[in-house]
Amino acid sequence: MRSLAYFIGTFVAALMLGIGSAWYMIERGSPLTTTKVGPWSGWISEGNPNADPYTKAHVARSGRLPLTSTVARYFVARTDSAGRTLTSACEYSVEGSPLNARWWSLAVYDEYGGLIENPSARYSFNSEEALRHSDGTFRINLSSKARPENWLPSGTADQHFVLLLRIYSPRETDASGIGLIPGDRLPKIERKECE
Amino acid sequence: MRVRIPGLYIVLGLVLAGLIHIVAVLTLPMLAPKSAHARLATLGPANAMIELPAAAPGRQIMPLMAPDVRYAFCRFDLTNGPVRLKATVADELWLIALYTPEGENFYSVAGADMKRAEIDLVIAAADQTVEEAGVDAPESSDDVIVVNSPVTEGIALIRAPLAGPSRATGAERALRSTSCGPYTKSG
Repeated sequence: MRSLAYFIGTFVAALMLGIGSAWYMIERGSPLTTTKVGPWSGWISEGNPNADPYTKAHVARSGRLPLTSTVARYFVARTDSAGRTLTSACEYSVEGSPLNARWWSLAVYDEYGGLIENPSARYSFNSEEALRHSDGTFRINLSSKARPENWLPSGTADQHFVLLLRIYSPRETDASGIGLIPGDRLPKIERKECE
Repeated sequence: MRVRIPGLYIVLGLVLAGLIHIVAVLTLPMLAPKSAHARLATLGPANAMIELPAAAPGRQIMPLMAPDVRYAFCRFDLTNGPVRLKATVADELWLIALYTPEGENFYSVAGADMKRAEIDLVIAAADQTVEEAGVDAPESSDDVIVVNSPVTEGIALIRAPLAGPSRATGAERALRSTSCGPYTKSG
């Protein structure tokens, strides 16, 4: 009787551990498949036909058609640089350095990957639009209220949001031809006031 | 009172968890909520160029679509022969990419890397031959690009990244003049 309970317990625990770990490694990635730099996380072999099973599963489940990582890199941030979840209840300052690529764009989405309604119909800033300082650096102000410089509205409802930095045609590549974006080039996300 | 779990059960549990993990990784893609290929299939027929409406709140065909990129796609089907994609690349930022239905990007070309603005791309399955003036003759081979597709059904997606909001109309017009259809030998 006791061994049956152990057996069932073992099976249930194995089921939860097996499926849970698979789900997490596919949705969020792991050191095997993703590079993490501060708040940013990017899949190393995204879109690549020779990618590992985790990356392939991630792409197939995403409902997206990402460019292969030799042509473009995508980095997602769900938290600020201090690790706190991004929320429209707070204001953020996104400070970036020049990126060595043909084109890049920083866009804001809700948790499900949908664009967030706002009166100025502004959903992103790209390399051609963002106002930059004389040294090539830029600052994007994420806020629910209008802000000077590059204002990216983060939605009025108290909700979590994500940032996606898409970088097309990076000019540097690593040994396997994957677009190389040095970690210190990815923008810092600093939290300002909160409501 | 402490409950002692025999070590055997822990080992058994871990081995079982490992097996379930592997099975889950291999089956989760098939249980995908809605693949990009299935989303695009609702928009129109195969072997035709279809423009995607500009991404806006509540109006996105795929999640995480770029609001500052205009897209056009062709769902190619090579069952009845190769498919030809023709475009006049309006901007060096343009990217043309071919995908399997699972979203693997098996071919891509950037506007900046093309010698000519007119791109003539023939997508053919491995067992299909494309006889075309210029394909066999190396000196003029950049007129027609033949891409061998690992799949008989897939997606060609053209991205037109915008250099600013004022460029949207021009990009949409340029995408409308691209074409996709069954390949017939050009004279």
